[in-house]
Amino acid sequence: MIITKDHIGGLVFLCLSAAYGYYTGDISMLPGDEYEPFNAQTLPNILAYLGGILSIALILTASRDAGDRLSLKGYDFPIVVKLLVLVVLFSVALEWVGFLLSTILFLIGGYWLLGERRVKTLLIASVPFAVFIWFALSQLLDIYLAPGRLFTTLFGG
Amino acid sequence: MLEGIFTGLGTALMPFNILMVVVGCFAGTFIGMLPGLGPISAVALMIPITYGLDPASGIILMAGVYYGAVFGGSTSSILINAPGCASTVVTSFDGYPLAQQGQAGKALALAAYCSFTGGTIGAIILLFAAPALAKVSLSFQSGDYFALMVLGLTAVAAFSGKGQVIKAMIMTVFGLMISTVGIDTMTGAPRFTFGTIDLLDGVSFLLLAMATFALTEVVMSIMKRQHLEEEPEIDMAALGSMKLSKEEVKEVAPTVARSSVFGFIIGVLPGAGATIASFLAYGMERNFASAKEKLKFGKGALRGLAAPETANNAASTGSFVPLLTLGIPGSGTTAIMLGALIAAGVQPGPRLFVDNPDVFWSVIISMYFGNLVLLILNLPLIPYISRLLAIPRPILIPLILFFSVTGVYLVSFNTFDIQMMVFITVIALFLKLLEFPMAPMLLGYILGGIMEQNLSRSLVMSDGSLDFIWERPLTLTIIVIAFILLFMPLISKLFESRSQKGIEASVNKGEGG
Repeated sequence: MIITKDHIGGLVFLCLSAAYGYYTGDISMLPGDEYEPFNAQTLPNILAYLGGILSIALILTASRDAGDRLSLKGYDFPIVVKLLVLVVLFSVALEWVGFLLSTILFLIGGYWLLGERRVKTLLIASVPFAVFIWFALSQLLDIYLAPGRLFTTLFGG
Repeated sequence: MLEGIFTGLGTALMPFNILMVVVGCFAGTFIGMLPGLGPISAVALMIPITYGLDPASGIILMAGVYYGAVFGGSTSSILINAPGCASTVVTSFDGYPLAQQGQAGKALALAAYCSFTGGTIGAIILLFAAPALAKVSLSFQSGDYFALMVLGLTAVAAFSGKGQVIKAMIMTVFGLMISTVGIDTMTGAPRFTFGTIDLLDGVSFLLLAMATFALTEVVMSIMKRQHLEEEPEIDMAALGSMKLSKEEVKEVAPTVARSSVFGFIIGVLPGAGATIASFLAYGMERNFASAKEKLKFGKGALRGLAAPETANNAASTGSFVPLLTLGIPGSGTTAIMLGALIAAGVQPGPRLFVDNPDVFWSVIISMYFGNLVLLILNLPLIPYISRLLAIPRPILIPLILFFSVTGVYLVSFNTFDIQMMVFITVIALFLKLLEFPMAPMLLGYILGGIMEQNLSRSLVMSDGSLDFIWERPLTLTIIVIAFILLFMPLISKLFESRSQKGIEASVNKGEGG
């Protein structure tokens, strides 16, 4: 049997709907709410059933064409993982070293990952831009950007 | 109505709002020109900016970005045969051959004139149609609203194309599921928060829209190695004249008139939008053409370029009708605008006309300005704007990533949101690989909360019985339409395959001849 994208998608959503339906039971209700025509669990229950029915319908009507198999050829996954990790690191850096420094590091990291190796370009395309954005936000628009925990710990808030 | 037009003029003519139209059109044109990023991504990138503006200015900016992006998409279709979005795919059928014949300037000018005319005629119809519809919809009750939401959700699924209907419906349900995360507004009970404080407020609209449309689109282009492709070289000297002769204007005038009205009507249908309008208008124009003219289609026929360009802009305008009058978005892009309006405290729908006449009218009035800005400012500046396309991708992509991530961070100042964004992007990438459409999910998420409230109200009022569905003829009619739409794919599949065959045949003939 050929397993196509539709089969995988249907199965994933079937599991999701089952899990969603299972956790629907955990939603707390006020005493007597279960006798009300509509309570906090009503819509989630309907959605869980609807999701289940549609997922099964997708699996049953799924294309069985070999061309519809999930093909991961031709995609560059490592670079995507690296970039997404960079975004997560950016979120951590924002808290520790503040907006300006983390922006510069994020941009340099991004350019580097996508193949830019000239140091001059790396710096020119990141530092002035980051300084401009930081200046516009904190000085012109008066938005408070926390200096970063590292600096407040070292030099005091 | 005259009073409303003056209110709209008053708001739209404020210097700041005019600036928003101009900035929006420019930003939209630029983003729309980038291959892979279409109007949805362009509008999504604007959401954080609109948070700092009043609702009228915010939606004026977004509307400007919307037209700009559609126009930008046409530009890259014509110049480099790389449509920025689905609605300008047809533009490249005849636009690119024109550019290859050294008539890029003429093609661009024609595209701009047609977009302008399509948009303007659309805006005029909107001016009359929207208030009339809004007045009718003022008598709506909660049951009718619930039926409308069901209609909106089924319509989007119904128009999602061949083989995609069940997938679109699943994604709608998925969006509805996401909308239930957080504190239940009616009972105060936390739902699906798993004890996390960060989820008590639910998943933020901004975060979801930015993650699924801005971040995912950019990451997808990297995954497909588009950043390694050479930057397109556009020879500005070879653009040619931007003038159209009298004969040429005469030739396309009837096409433009037909496609405007046709595009607008298609745009009004919830879920149909600019893409279907442009394909159908092209097919229609080919059918109207004489046997001799038919041969020109696909080889650089002016009518073949005018029809889709007019129709997609008229449809963009038309998609504002259900948004402004019923609160149901006609397309993915208007779904994002709906979310942004709700976030700004404005509830689009029948009451918008009464409660926020300034928003209602200024959007309609600013559409004229938007079209005017595109024609007067953007067209002459195209050679310069397209130079931005020459910025190397390794530089451009991290900058877009930065804007989408900080756009979310600068609203909440919570770094958890950035991590959540990455998490949602991973899921969205997986779903895109499985060919699930994203727009229905966002629509389900946006309409979910309002739908639940109206369903709850109707059920409580009818004491738990489903009588409210057939008690009022209006509710019943809407529900029946929703069901008809569910079975529409069968009909539209037949229709689409016919017109598709026609278009393909014309393109093949064009290439062969």
